[in-house]
Amino acid sequence: MDGTEKLTFSQKSRVSTNAGALDPMVYLKAGIIVLLAVMPFVFPSFRVMDVMAKIMIFTLVVASFDLLLGYTGILSFAHAMFFGIGAYSVALILYHAPEPAWYHIIFAVIISLAVSISLSLIVSFFSLRVKAIFFAMLTLALAEFAHILGVQWTSLTGGEDGVSFVLPGVFNFNHSFGTLFHAQMNGRLVVYFLILISTVFMFAGMLRFIRSPLGRVLKSIRDNEQRSIALGYQTFRYQIYSIVFSSAIASMGGILFAMWLCYVNPDSVFHTAIMVNILLMVLIGGMGTLYGSIIGASFLIVTENWLPGLLKSVASLVPENATVQMLADRWQLYFGILFVLVVLFFPKGVIGTIRSHIRQKKLVG
Amino acid sequence: MTRQAISIAAQSGKVKAGMNWFIGIGLFMLPLIWIDPTTYLTLTVAGFSLGMLIFLIASGLTLIFGLMDVLNLAHAAFFAFGAYMGYTVLNLINSFGWSETASFGGSVLYLAVALGAAGCIGGILGVVTERLVIQKVYGDHLMQLLVTVGVSFVLVEILKIIWGVNDEVVPVPMAFQDSFIVCGVFFEYFRVVAIILGVGVFAALQFVLKKTKIGIIVRAGVENREIVKTTGYNINRIFTLVFAAGAAFAAVGGTMMAVFNQAVDPGMGDQFLIFALIVVIIGGMGSVTGSFIGAVIVGLSFNYVAYLVPKMALGVNFMIMAIILLIRPTGLFGKE
Amino acid sequence: MSDSILSLDNVHTHIGKHHILQGVSLDVTPGGATILLGRNGAGKSTTLKTIMGVYPASAGRIRFRGNDIHDKQPHKIARLGMGFVPEDRAVLFNLTVEENFKLSMIEENERTHQNLEDVLLLFPALKTFWNRKAGLLSGGQKQMLAIARVFVCDHALLLIDEPSKGLAPIVVDQLGEAIVRIKDKTKVILVEQNFNLARQVGTDCFILDDGRVVFHGLTEDLAKDKAMMKNYLGI
Repeated sequence: MDGTEKLTFSQKSRVSTNAGALDPMVYLKAGIIVLLAVMPFVFPSFRVMDVMAKIMIFTLVVASFDLLLGYTGILSFAHAMFFGIGAYSVALILYHAPEPAWYHIIFAVIISLAVSISLSLIVSFFSLRVKAIFFAMLTLALAEFAHILGVQWTSLTGGEDGVSFVLPGVFNFNHSFGTLFHAQMNGRLVVYFLILISTVFMFAGMLRFIRSPLGRVLKSIRDNEQRSIALGYQTFRYQIYSIVFSSAIASMGGILFAMWLCYVNPDSVFHTAIMVNILLMVLIGGMGTLYGSIIGASFLIVTENWLPGLLKSVASLVPENATVQMLADRWQLYFGILFVLVVLFFPKGVIGTIRSHIRQKKLVG
Repeated sequence: MTRQAISIAAQSGKVKAGMNWFIGIGLFMLPLIWIDPTTYLTLTVAGFSLGMLIFLIASGLTLIFGLMDVLNLAHAAFFAFGAYMGYTVLNLINSFGWSETASFGGSVLYLAVALGAAGCIGGILGVVTERLVIQKVYGDHLMQLLVTVGVSFVLVEILKIIWGVNDEVVPVPMAFQDSFIVCGVFFEYFRVVAIILGVGVFAALQFVLKKTKIGIIVRAGVENREIVKTTGYNINRIFTLVFAAGAAFAAVGGTMMAVFNQAVDPGMGDQFLIFALIVVIIGGMGSVTGSFIGAVIVGLSFNYVAYLVPKMALGVNFMIMAIILLIRPTGLFGKE
Repeated sequence: MSDSILSLDNVHTHIGKHHILQGVSLDVTPGGATILLGRNGAGKSTTLKTIMGVYPASAGRIRFRGNDIHDKQPHKIARLGMGFVPEDRAVLFNLTVEENFKLSMIEENERTHQNLEDVLLLFPALKTFWNRKAGLLSGGQKQMLAIARVFVCDHALLLIDEPSKGLAPIVVDQLGEAIVRIKDKTKVILVEQNFNLARQVGTDCFILDDGRVVFHGLTEDLAKDKAMMKNYLGI
């Protein structure tokens, strides 16, 4: 945690001189990337790969949300909406394209960027007009609206049934290159690496964003908007940058998500539950930490994948008790309880708690 | 300011208020261009009653926000619990066979029992939520939003455990399935009941807040807890009461909506929360009058547009919200 | 001990990490007014708020009319007969003058209505603006209302925190007169920076400094002790 710790004190220059071979964080980061890269070859199971890919995608989305909530202090419930816009744009384009080709994906990226940027500009314009709490309500209403639109605009979105599509060319899951270390070298693997590379790049981009002078202004606005205004910053402009940037990243996450599943429906990308998940991931990782998103996303997605099975096997011990079966079925209940507990008793999250612990030690020592 | 200046300012304020009424009534009449008068009146009655149903939900939200400065997103869950509670009670009554015998009075009585049960469950949930969770996050909006989203999630999951995940059909008391016609305008009995209930709740709220001691204490507690405490009132208990009342209103609104739609489903809270949010944003947060007007606007515009361009109905509500926010960022009756 | 209406015994108060009161002990005898003097940050307001229960005492004992009150909630303490006028014109701005009075009547009965009429004779301006929102009153009127609203209940003890702060001298005089009248009926503990006002109101006087009592005596004696005045009050 040493590297991130220094950065929070905005001693960037010192870190960059210390960085390189000496910083253990660099090894950790490189280790994570290498681990993600070799995973499909070491554990050539779809389940493991699926979990890994989702962790990466949600790390991206959660980090972009953290940019808003943790670094800019804006609570927007419309973040999942941008995620959904990305997912739907690639899905719809590939679904409607007579012959899906690679450039359709580029096209989808451009479309979803255009839509999410213009929409986030409108949204951020409202954030200028209204108070923070109003803004949260506004975006919540907007997110619900997007969900309803996804369900009801059947001619475009296919309604609740959603859209399934096939990926073009090398991305196609049936496209095989043979095997390597027992792993199927197919389109799915290509998408996996596309996700890996995009995530690393965009995550690095977000790190640059918060470490740039602009990012520091954002932090100062979050901590004390009046003071930042008094210092002569047009705080509104910076908030727009933050909203637009993070929305754009979220929509990219949506594109990767749709490409991985080759299927989207309103409940999987627009539902409030997605937003609650993203919030929970941010909170578990810790607001304003960015790296926390990795921990938050990993924790939630891993539990999401294993918890239902675990509960079922526990419930199968008492097969005649209907209440136990019901309690086991509603595994999201435990997420909700966890969420409330984290907010109430653990508001700094994992990384945040570690950081304040280190800070405490430094002050004492 | 001199006295003259004040009087001029007051006068221009009056003129402006007059203008606002003028514009409001003008917009209200606008759909007459496309809709013939009797249909328009039928739609107006229907829209007004829809507005009153929404007001029941929004009033709880605005009460809790306006008086306690707590934005409670678990409101949707209280609403859904109320709806299911009403459904259960009506089902129970139905199992005794009222569907053959019920008179109008009987129907009203059954509905009242269901509403009472819903109010109770809402109130209990409200007390528990306030005591366990909300008291820890007073004064911190961000925490409130986050924690109430979590509470909402938990409550809906509990609801699914109790009542299952499927849509259920709500038995509607006999008399409410009927309607009567006056001069070609349709009046469904249930809609009339909804209007009476909505207006009644609005009047009661206004009276309690403006005229009674408890209203004074509550309003004072919002402004300055310390003074109220040191004057000798247990402000925590009063706030728990307000929260419970808000939750009870949501639950009552839930039962009304369940009867209105003749169906309940676990996700219904979210669908109507969006209406409540729009209403509260339009009306201005914390203003009961604002919520009332906002609910009427949303109910009417929804119905007019649903008649003219069905797919646009919800979109129009959003447009109205956006326009009002652009003109008045704090909503129609919101304070700066 | 038995003759004191209020006694603080080695009271400590922490606000956050700060140790504000560091062992305040004082005995307040019934009747008349007791003055708390001291510099900014000496702990005068904190003493009043600790007595009232707004800040919980972290150590020590507070007794009021024979009850231990250091572990009680403010509303319970208030109902034992203690009235509190916080600093900075503590009225409810969004309530009308009438509603402010209504709020302060914990019980509405003939006594309180009689008290209300009495207090309105003392502050006729409040009668004039009866239906006006308190937030629209002038600074002096707000302060009058803040004191008057506490006076409608038959309290055994009134805590008044710096009523003169930021008011014009003529208004201060008016307030002083009112407090002098009030103290004939009710015991008053007055926190003041304005020494002249303090002298006008009462003779029994404590000086607080750095969270401790450093002087107890008569205001006249204090007025003669130039060194003390300069040291602790800066005059």
